[in-house]
Amino acid sequence: MSKNNIERISGRAPDELRNVSIKAGVIKNADGSALIEFGKNKIMAAVFGPKEVHPKHMMISDRAIIKCRYHMMPFSTDTRKRPNISRREIEISKVIREALQPAIIMEDYPRTAIEIYIEVLQSDGGSRCAAINAASTALADAGINMRDLVTACAAGKVDGQVVLDVDDTEDKTGEADMPIALLPNTGLITLFQLDGNLSKEEFDKALELAKTGCDKLYKLQRDALSEKYFDGKNGNKEE
Amino acid sequence: MPAVKKHRIVDSITRESIISNLANSTRLDERGLLDYRNLEIETNILKDKTNGSARVKLGESEVWAGIKVETANPFPDTPAEGVMTCNAEMLPICSQYIEPGPPDENTIELSRVSDRGIRESGMIDIKELCIKEGERVYSVYIDVAVINEDGNLFDAVSYAATTALLMADMNKFTIENDEVKMLDEKQPLPIKSVPVSTTFAKIEDKIIIDPNADEQEMATARVTLVTDENGKYVSGQKGKPGGFTFDELKEISVISKEKGDEIRVKIREAVKNGS
Amino acid sequence: MKTNSVERKYVMPGDVVIEGDHNPIANVIKSGNKIISTKIGMAEIAYNGVRVIPLNGTYIPRMDDVVIGKVADMNGFAWEVDINSWFFGILTGSAVFGRQFSSSRDSMKSQFDKGECLIAKILSFDRTRDPLISVSGPGLGKIKEGEIAYITSSKIPRVIGKKGAMIKLIEENTGCRMTIGQNGAILLKGTDEARTKARNAIKLIGNQAHTSDLNDKVISLISK
Repeated sequence: MSKNNIERISGRAPDELRNVSIKAGVIKNADGSALIEFGKNKIMAAVFGPKEVHPKHMMISDRAIIKCRYHMMPFSTDTRKRPNISRREIEISKVIREALQPAIIMEDYPRTAIEIYIEVLQSDGGSRCAAINAASTALADAGINMRDLVTACAAGKVDGQVVLDVDDTEDKTGEADMPIALLPNTGLITLFQLDGNLSKEEFDKALELAKTGCDKLYKLQRDALSEKYFDGKNGNKEE
Repeated sequence: MPAVKKHRIVDSITRESIISNLANSTRLDERGLLDYRNLEIETNILKDKTNGSARVKLGESEVWAGIKVETANPFPDTPAEGVMTCNAEMLPICSQYIEPGPPDENTIELSRVSDRGIRESGMIDIKELCIKEGERVYSVYIDVAVINEDGNLFDAVSYAATTALLMADMNKFTIENDEVKMLDEKQPLPIKSVPVSTTFAKIEDKIIIDPNADEQEMATARVTLVTDENGKYVSGQKGKPGGFTFDELKEISVISKEKGDEIRVKIREAVKNGS
Repeated sequence: MKTNSVERKYVMPGDVVIEGDHNPIANVIKSGNKIISTKIGMAEIAYNGVRVIPLNGTYIPRMDDVVIGKVADMNGFAWEVDINSWFFGILTGSAVFGRQFSSSRDSMKSQFDKGECLIAKILSFDRTRDPLISVSGPGLGKIKEGEIAYITSSKIPRVIGKKGAMIKLIEENTGCRMTIGQNGAILLKGTDEARTKARNAIKLIGNQAHTSDLNDKVISLISK
């Protein structure tokens, strides 16, 4: 990275991710599932379906519908969160659904529902990106036909420096946070949010940086799936 | 298993083999009638954001509990007592039969039975949770997430909540010039006893302990009994539309104590290993 | 192109199986000149095209498949049978009682009650309607005893083996009789010990379906 790096609070390099681990197939009752630990984030995603649509009037005759719920447990936050769904959770549920939907071949499952449930058990900055990585792994684990996996990572600006993967302590003092999700094989960006302020130069740099983060997450998703399905063999393309 | 009805259906041949096994005093998973499934208790699984946490796996049933200790105003009728609430959530990830949304009657029963076991046993000394009478008290929130459902959540939730409470700490405070000041230093929660829940089910005329999902679905009656370490019965709840005889309930009360003691040892062991 | 050589590799959704002019057969999509996998599984590139044999996913009904299911619900005209798929298999009253069936006359319950298991055949399915099933035919009908083991339906061919070799191997070495449902449900009949051995063999196939020398692994498991 640039020569005059400013030390991050976490001690990470500007282009360094937090510790991430992904495990596929953690919930026995679900058709597909994954647990991701992303920094302090601990998030579980489960996929059910394709299954019958309830209520019936939501059914679409030539494709599946996707239901997605992002929910935080009351104990997942610094001060206890009230159990009911907040406006923030509803918005995040929507953007996650729209980030995953382009990867799912919905025409293969007419008149059905595919349900994606995301439970945040411990939260940190970047929980929506972590959730997308887990949910995409869970979708593949459920055997839903997909064009590609979906992988997500954020970049931002802290102390005037463009950095990868902003955590919650950095987010408090940070000037910008920009989560993206993308289909790694086609490069299609399916989630994009930004809050804060970035110059054109910083914006481009953050986008590139977020992509390098996504590449790393993609590798970890593949590792998790190959661990479950291929005894860890041939998980990564370069092998 | 995509096409889904609202509740579990135990198929006829499974039902028959469960019943014929019970007649020979065994169960489909090779347990005896009064054997618990494998119980795994892990502590400190959510240490970054909670004051105490635990994960319990009872067979394939899995729950995570997290404790948050905050401060609140006391209730007007108990100005010198702290507040405690226990809340269990059936997350939609835990089973194909659970829909997201507000809790249904079963989930509310689960929360309330778990709450009563802890409350009535006096596990937490709520008088010790008073910071300044009439103004400020500690508020202990016990939240339990059901991650995977395979029967007997009453016990799994109770063990997770109890273990997490035993692991939990809270900030110390001082009162300077009549002002409450919270300190960074921690102290353990004021724990007085360790309640242990035991759950029984009745299938035909057989009493079994720790029913799994199929057994629970088939059972005509279910009963949960919570004991403390002094051998006192502190809370109980019968469920499902059947019933127990006097003799059955007396027998259950004896077994509940024995099994409760065994499980209390396991909980204490997990806490010791975790702290 | 060689006619009988088959190239195999592990793939995940989004992976390019092969580039060039190939015929997509199953669980792959064509994007430009690339053949892309849509599932986790084993890709097979053969002279007639490219397919991915999935290692997970839900059973998709096909006409004439024999399936094992349980009655989930019923009304005056039909039973809804859970066949481990997206939709319930519909078994109509007239398919059981014949043309003279009238819902007022015949008691549906006397034939199949809720929770009862049956072996059935898929009569029709086209993704726009629930699959119709039938229980008339040799080997079809109510299941009265045994136990049902489950496996991902795409792994059923491995349970059957080449020309039934794997079924034969398990049956001969365990004394358990197996009836295979294409929906991933397998009926086991025999002594407790026989069923336990067969159940374990099926579990092993479920976990090791992507590996070779399954026969040896199953034999060594059973003879343990």
